[in-house]
Amino acid sequence: MTSLKTTTLTLLTGLAGLAAGFAAVTPGEPGTVIAQSSPELPPPPANGELGFVVEEFAPPVVQGKEACPDGTVPKLKEAYLASLPEAERARLALKENEPEFTRRWQATAVGPGNTNICSQPDRFRRPLLRTVQSPTAQGLDLDRGAGGESCEHGEFTSPAGETGIDNQEYRVMGCTLEWRGKDGIAGDIASGLRQFHASGEWTQVLLLRGIDSFDRDDDVEVIYANTADRPPADAKGRFLPGASFTVSNSGPRHRNVLKGRINKGVLTTEPTTIVLAQTWGQGGARDLRGSRSRYTFNQGRLRLVFRPDGRLEGLLGGYRPAFEVIQSPAIGGVGAATTAGIDCAGMLATLLHYADGVRDRKTGKCTAVSSAMRVVAIPAFVNDLPAATGASAR
Amino acid sequence: MIKLRHPTLALGLACAAALGTVWAAKPLDAAPAAQRAIAPAGPDWRIVGMRRLTEAQYRNTIADIFGTDIRVAGRFEPIVRPAHELIASGARAASISPAGLEQFDAMARQIAAQVFDPAHRDQFVVCPGGSGATPDRACLRPTLDRLGRLLFRRPLSPDEGAFYADLADRAATAGGSVDRGLELALAAMLVSPHFLYVIERAEPDPAAPGRFRLDNPSRAARLSFTLWNTTPHAALLDAAAAGELTDPARLRAMAGQMVASPRFASGIRAFFADMLLFERFDELAKDPLVFPYFNPAVAQALPEQMLLTITDHLLTRDGDYRELFTTRQTWMNRPLAALYQVPVSRSQGWVRYEFPEGSDRAGLLGQAGFLAMYSHSGRSSPTLRGRAVRELLMCQPVPNPPGNVNFTAVQDIANRAMPTARIRLDAHNTDPVCAGCHAITDPIGLTLERFDGIGARRTRENDAPIDVSGSIDGKLFEGAAGLGQALAESRDTATCVASRALEYATGKPVDDSARVDALTDRFAARNHRIRQLFLDVVTMPEAYAVDAAPLSGTATRSRRR
Repeated sequence: MTSLKTTTLTLLTGLAGLAAGFAAVTPGEPGTVIAQSSPELPPPPANGELGFVVEEFAPPVVQGKEACPDGTVPKLKEAYLASLPEAERARLALKENEPEFTRRWQATAVGPGNTNICSQPDRFRRPLLRTVQSPTAQGLDLDRGAGGESCEHGEFTSPAGETGIDNQEYRVMGCTLEWRGKDGIAGDIASGLRQFHASGEWTQVLLLRGIDSFDRDDDVEVIYANTADRPPADAKGRFLPGASFTVSNSGPRHRNVLKGRINKGVLTTEPTTIVLAQTWGQGGARDLRGSRSRYTFNQGRLRLVFRPDGRLEGLLGGYRPAFEVIQSPAIGGVGAATTAGIDCAGMLATLLHYADGVRDRKTGKCTAVSSAMRVVAIPAFVNDLPAATGASAR
Repeated sequence: MIKLRHPTLALGLACAAALGTVWAAKPLDAAPAAQRAIAPAGPDWRIVGMRRLTEAQYRNTIADIFGTDIRVAGRFEPIVRPAHELIASGARAASISPAGLEQFDAMARQIAAQVFDPAHRDQFVVCPGGSGATPDRACLRPTLDRLGRLLFRRPLSPDEGAFYADLADRAATAGGSVDRGLELALAAMLVSPHFLYVIERAEPDPAAPGRFRLDNPSRAARLSFTLWNTTPHAALLDAAAAGELTDPARLRAMAGQMVASPRFASGIRAFFADMLLFERFDELAKDPLVFPYFNPAVAQALPEQMLLTITDHLLTRDGDYRELFTTRQTWMNRPLAALYQVPVSRSQGWVRYEFPEGSDRAGLLGQAGFLAMYSHSGRSSPTLRGRAVRELLMCQPVPNPPGNVNFTAVQDIANRAMPTARIRLDAHNTDPVCAGCHAITDPIGLTLERFDGIGARRTRENDAPIDVSGSIDGKLFEGAAGLGQALAESRDTATCVASRALEYATGKPVDDSARVDALTDRFAARNHRIRQLFLDVVTMPEAYAVDAAPLSGTATRSRRR
């Protein structure tokens, strides 16, 4: 092979054994990430390396009516209607008054100076949104119950019974229609993010190096990076295992080097800032591929389980800047408000209200929310950057 | 648009005149000059063959003469492949339908318009006053004479030159532009049979009284289209004009230069694409639910991987032809790598790849292109694969199945009682009518059963282990690697490629086994190097000796008014 001298390449060596050996690990219910030790652990890959491409990367939503007993967060139109006296609501509900109703509720989305609640959400004062009421959520214990730099917040318990789960992003966003969808069905956020991953716009890869044991290995290097390569998929859109990818070394792509360990088939990484690419829409002001932005996970970390079929499955956790959570509708601007009915200002206010991480040194207030993303990665060949390029390609 | 009152008619007349030159003995008053289009090489010359340009040859010719930036857009009528022969043989009998001629006409007009547009015209217009002269009608004849020589692969006769210059002159008058006149005349040349067909002419052989041989221009065309798959370049035309190509030493020298050129790769690609029936890739379809790794990018890469392997092994590495069936060296790109489940470092393009030692991916037969082509849309086929090995690589035709065959057993791939193709074929072959032919094909094809219908590797079928033992002509072996080794050791494979090379060059299947045997012996003596084989093929005097029966009657007859 020609250029392998300058690239690091994962090999799928040992994947078959991996799959067989992990047969005793608890099969992956969506969102269930607590690993159990396996009595039969496979030998490590011959060269100590495994590669994966991330197929799923979306907020985990625990379905069930107890999460949002009053229903999903009202859209702008519904919120405006609810603010009116009953007689006026009845009048505006009439067909002949629809133009007036539309004009009036859409007027709540815009402000002076050509501002709107999504492009300038901090300039509007809106009521806080409904939040998740149930005590159950997916996520990681980011502060290990100790608080520290964190602000006061409630904690969740995972569906598997793990306590101390920090996920204020879910608390705020978990009752929006975009996240929750209809009970039992993933919302737009899951299917939408899946499309972005499939398009190659922000495809992520994982490269694990130095694996000596799946039972216990205290020193595993994890490269968590973006690639510009589009994953091949089957007719149903499922990614195909065994494809090759190269960590992107140009453009606003990101390469995170994490220090990890494996214990009983579970890979965890030490907290550090993890940055990944995201691109919203098409034809953005700066780039034909759309407006580029980032995922930022302060004190970010992975907890991933090696699954019997060769997948890696688990969570990415960390504290995300509050505005970053709403950057998609913010980029959408007034259209996000008047077409999709999204109350960006209310979202931002609620996120800041429940923020539990990254204190502002001047104000002492937290600016970021604890967050979690469900990550499912399938086996792939991952070519790292040439060594000469250095450790960061941000 | 040209303001000629009847430009289409003029072009049509030009074309018809040229056609008439070749195919009709009747005079054509519309274009009397063109009736004497073929400059006689001697008193007793004759046309002995016409071979239609393939699409690739047409495109290569346009690119070589006018540049790669001249766009060729249109639909090419396919040349029908005769059973068990090459398309090169089919080209000798290929006609052009009215619809096909319309396509050529449309392409000709587009090409001519580009050649004489402001961006290109200065490269092609030749004026008596030199390149700085203002184009005028004095430029018509020299410009068209020069282009005509390149397009017709021989100098235009005086009558032809006058005819096209007159056509251009009249169009220039009507259109008010010299360029428009040139454009029309060039378009007329591009639909002439002298361009669309490689016309082979024979002249009396002075070394063998009473016999004929191909003349110099015909030899130039044969050399160029066989070795480079394109029209003769200027040096070759010059050599033909000087009569050098009937000199065996000069012929060999020129051919030697051509097989040493990087452009020989184009010829080799075209030859193997013809020999291995690559036109079938255009129709390759797979069930996406059964074979999710098959997609348009993979379909496009399959033939290219085979051709890269072939040219890399035979030309870049100057390898032994027989090792094409055993080599572990190949090329990969990203879409194919996913099918093969191997890593590829580059996001775009091709990289060299070597399958690990002990891999069953040996040679061309272990490549997904061959394996996918000779499979059904939803399953592999040991029979199709075995037949392809027999027919394509060993030149041993296998009879078609009778029309009333019951395929139920072999098609029932979900039957857990018959989980593997071997078991299903055994059941099918209980019918003695079927067993005869399957005995020829299946012991070969079953050795490739560790590759599914798109050539992806598998170790089990329906959860049952796959037996890849097989045989060919009494020789027992296992798997694709064993099959490749058996083919490499078989003289039939060398004989087959030698006979195909001769057929490819001459456009005729070879029925002279003694000639093929002699060619195969020389091929073996030169360590089965493909360059030597083609050098032999294009320089062997026998290949230029032609039947005395003319295609068009004698020259005297063809020139009768």
